[in-house]
Amino acid sequence: MSDKFIRAISTDEIAPGGMKSVELDGREVVICNCGGTYYAIQRRCGHMNAPLEMGTLEGKFVTCPMHCAQFDVTTGQALSGPVPADLGKESLSPVLAAYMQHVSALMKDIRTESICTYETKVEAGWVHVAA
Amino acid sequence: METESRKKALHYFFDKVVGPLGFKFTPDVELMDFLLEQEVVLEGKHGIPFCPCQPLRHDRARDMQIVCPCIPFHREHFDAIKRCWCGLFVHKDVMDPDSLPQLPPKDVGLE
Repeated sequence: MSDKFIRAISTDEIAPGGMKSVELDGREVVICNCGGTYYAIQRRCGHMNAPLEMGTLEGKFVTCPMHCAQFDVTTGQALSGPVPADLGKESLSPVLAAYMQHVSALMKDIRTESICTYETKVEAGWVHVAA
Repeated sequence: METESRKKALHYFFDKVVGPLGFKFTPDVELMDFLLEQEVVLEGKHGIPFCPCQPLRHDRARDMQIVCPCIPFHREHFDAIKRCWCGLFVHKDVMDPDSLPQLPPKDVGLE
């Protein structure tokens, strides 16, 4: 257990089910309010670095806003990878189609890694995150 | 991805969806565990937890109708047999899932 904590945000800054990003000593951290219990996770998705606070928090599971990879905010464990996109039946211009094909080929081998979590504690109405 | 953790997550998400639809997870824990595990395997392969008992047709519109829980897409059929096709979900009043036959739509007056 870490003995050094940094004061991050006031507890009333995040409603239950909400998230907020903060920068603490150069680290990008997202603080999650899971029904009154606060968890801190790395801000960047373990898949393609999207900012997780722009996703959704349901229970203890955060879903990335970019490709819907999911993580457990209590452990940081990656639970699922990206959901395949639906380009629908819209016809893409040849240039865009080629670009999308290139992006798909690049993305195929990207692994979804688990994310870092940080210890938190609440004191006097403030959420503190381990340094 | 770790299978057990993903199974727990799917259970959590599905429970929130099927409850308001009048369904619950089957009381047959072994079956539930097996089906969720198959869905995790399918999700690992396709990126989406499809129903493990339905064939993929590689037609996006049709395949999306078998994404678990697929109850909203087959509501009339599942309400008639009080279970979903694979048996992962049953009507809330069902205590003995083994008593529910897996009947195709035409056998319950649909189609």
